[in-house]
Amino acid sequence: MSNQREQVNQIDQSFSAYVKRQFKKNKRALYSLYLVIFLGLVAIFADFIANDKPLICKYKGSTMMPIFKSYAVSAGLANWPEDLQNISWNELDYDWAIFPPVPYLPTNQDMINGHYIGPTGDQKWDKRKWLNSKRDETAVGPQKLPTRYWHWLGTDQLGRDVLSGMIHATRIAFLVGFISMGLASIIGIFVGALAGYFGDERLKISRGRMFMNILGLFFAFFYGFSQRSYILGDALEVSIGSFLTQVLVCFVIFFLVLALFNLIAYALKLVPWFKDKIAVPMDMIVSRVIEVMVSVPILFLLITVVALVPPHIFWVMLVIGLVSWTGMARLIRAELLKVRSLEYIEAAHAMGFSEWRTMFKHAIPNALSPVFIAIAFGVAGAILTEATLSFLGIGVSADTITWGKLLNMSRQHPLAWWLAIFPGFAIFILVTAFNLIGEGLSDALDPRLKN
Amino acid sequence: MFKYILKRVLIFIPTLIIITLGTFVLSLNAPGDPVDLLLNQSGGSDSKSTDRLATEEVYVKKRAELGLDKPTFYFALSDAATSDTLHLVPKQVYRENLARLTNQYGNWPQISKNYLAKRKFDLALYDVEKNDQNAGALIKLKDYSASLLTSYKETKMDVLHGNIQKLIDGDSSLASMRPLMNEVTSSYDNMKSTSSKWKTWVPSFKWYGTDNQYHHWITEVFKGNLGTSYMDGRPVITKLKEGIFWTMLMSILAMIITYIIAIPLGIYSAVNKGGTFDKISTTILFMLYSLPSFWIATLMVVFLTGGDYLDWFPTYGVGDTSKPLDVAYHLVLPLICWTYASFAYLSRQMRTGMLTVIGQDFIRTAKAKGLAQKVVVMKHALRNALLPIITLFASVFPRAIGGSVILEVIFNLPGMGNLSFNAILARDYPIVFIVFMFSAILTLVGYLVADVLYAVVDPRISYNK
Repeated sequence: MSNQREQVNQIDQSFSAYVKRQFKKNKRALYSLYLVIFLGLVAIFADFIANDKPLICKYKGSTMMPIFKSYAVSAGLANWPEDLQNISWNELDYDWAIFPPVPYLPTNQDMINGHYIGPTGDQKWDKRKWLNSKRDETAVGPQKLPTRYWHWLGTDQLGRDVLSGMIHATRIAFLVGFISMGLASIIGIFVGALAGYFGDERLKISRGRMFMNILGLFFAFFYGFSQRSYILGDALEVSIGSFLTQVLVCFVIFFLVLALFNLIAYALKLVPWFKDKIAVPMDMIVSRVIEVMVSVPILFLLITVVALVPPHIFWVMLVIGLVSWTGMARLIRAELLKVRSLEYIEAAHAMGFSEWRTMFKHAIPNALSPVFIAIAFGVAGAILTEATLSFLGIGVSADTITWGKLLNMSRQHPLAWWLAIFPGFAIFILVTAFNLIGEGLSDALDPRLKN
Repeated sequence: MFKYILKRVLIFIPTLIIITLGTFVLSLNAPGDPVDLLLNQSGGSDSKSTDRLATEEVYVKKRAELGLDKPTFYFALSDAATSDTLHLVPKQVYRENLARLTNQYGNWPQISKNYLAKRKFDLALYDVEKNDQNAGALIKLKDYSASLLTSYKETKMDVLHGNIQKLIDGDSSLASMRPLMNEVTSSYDNMKSTSSKWKTWVPSFKWYGTDNQYHHWITEVFKGNLGTSYMDGRPVITKLKEGIFWTMLMSILAMIITYIIAIPLGIYSAVNKGGTFDKISTTILFMLYSLPSFWIATLMVVFLTGGDYLDWFPTYGVGDTSKPLDVAYHLVLPLICWTYASFAYLSRQMRTGMLTVIGQDFIRTAKAKGLAQKVVVMKHALRNALLPIITLFASVFPRAIGGSVILEVIFNLPGMGNLSFNAILARDYPIVFIVFMFSAILTLVGYLVADVLYAVVDPRISYNK
């Protein structure tokens, strides 16, 4: 008897465990998840999979790990010794060295294999031009490239290794997918929750605060942003990091000014007319904003905005995030419109919790499951959007290789079939995997669909 | 119903105004000077001051013609230091630099005096008689003077002043420049010493009235005059008509094909759910749905056109428009790319819709009545399952504009997508404005039509509350 009870207890009855079990039943979604994890690992360890530096080597008597060291150098913690600056790592005279599987960086230009050499093409190296003791003056012309250094997916016009480019581009695809979708989710959940939870009548503030907040917005914008526009512009020229710091400062000033005006609003409450509470039509405001956003084709909006900023992948992520939150907001709004009239929310009110606490701690968590589905589809969409943009040649800087950019190269040189097939296939696979995960999640999260 | 439609249309007007405002703000932040783009001019280094003034005159005239010398909006929220006459200064680079200096020193009268002195000096440089001795110095001086007009960092300006002073002091043929330079230096010192930075911390609200760029543009649009393209000077409306023709042609053709394939496919696999056909078609449709259309388009262009591999289809364009067959031949590949993803989507939608309906009680009743399978499916189930499909119809038009950009670029079709893509890249804002407005109208009308259709086909939905 007791044994039987234990068995029942072993099955976790919580919702998340149930969802996990349901999700695992969907083989397509499960394998997609494994694939995404695998590609995610490729993205994280791209530097150790495709790099021109050895993983570990002994050079001139000292053992070192150049890839780790390059991290330290780019963080400003270390410097390359004189003899290791501006060198071709492949050609050094190591005592011994272990190289990554792909011995190239996406930016390495293999001059002799430039002008689109295919995977089965005539790949060569020329030992007569080497700079070290392995240099072979007697070699008769360029010789066949050994398997170790073979460009397995060919090269582009500048002789850059396509496989290495694809491996490093995985990182960009993931970064774009997650960062822009993260941003879109945060904005979407917050804005959608405001509209759905408060509706048109639940958010009540006094006339005084309403008045001071509208006035305060102008001043906050003035001191926070318009007065600092030159500072922002200058910071942008230094680096993205300092720009972000300055943006943070802008927001701090913005909210400080706004807080100041709210303080004044407290004083205003002494006047009875200002003390009267009026409803803020939150739902109406948010719905109008969403309507404006969705009525402009998203790709146009992206191209227009991205054309205004310097080419860097960071901007693409930011802009995709800033324009694609509307779907998420609509979802959350619709969910919360249902949730807000449920009894447990009333109970939370009856216990005297503030509106904000009720919204964030009780209402939103109950509406999150459609959001997970939307995030999975959204990541796929963001990756596809970025690929589209870089295919069109917008947004990414010249030295960043992305799948879309590689695919675009095939249009300039149709004979390079490897550029038409592999990058496009990578986009397809990753996008499909995220779509399948989204589908699996929606089946798992929605018990009604279960047969 | 009528009341509902009227309400929706009324709500729509502010949305449209916000979109025009948004586009306007974007256009103001765009780098580059549209007038320069249009005139495509650059002053030679040997021309006399009168020539330079003449080219500037052309610039100023063109700018006035485009209405770009007016204030941008009805009002401006800025600081007390900002001059309200800054928009009269010709050349965007000068304006930007002056705005920067104003932000730095906050004393517009002195800044403007300094600017005028620098301009006078700069122009006078071009009238100095050239001889063998001063030729090198003159080139340098022109360079320094030009960069003085566009620099704002104090250290840089100090260095430039020093350099210029040294050059004109060392050459007797440049003596005529000395008083002018003295004026520049004194106004510069004056500007620095009377700095009133605090003024930039005082917000100010300036009202310009209706004589502004936005007002002129929007009233012209309402009068039906959409302006002319910056790029080639052609009327926007002509370019737009061409674009819409091709995009609409493609969309309508694609839509017809999509519906013809998708509806029977969806019905068939729903009715035979779990069968071999259903399994295979579901998998294929899912693959098709996830295939990025620009990849397929690229593959087609690379492998099926141009003759590097196969030469079955033409690569670019729409061919000879006077021959319908040639056009059709050119449109085969684009149409395939246009269609496959949407018919995959629609078939999946149709299948799901059918499945939901088939599981309902009234279908069981119909079957129990002894109706033939065909009648049950076609008469009872299909009509209900078509509901969501019909509403998708309305979303096709707005998507036609935005979704077609990449395919039109790849196949180089002269449609809306290509037109607006090139306009955005070239900062041809008269076109960008109209495209944004136009697609916004289409989208919102599309949603409205969808809602109305929904109510028409489903009597349970009513908007008369």
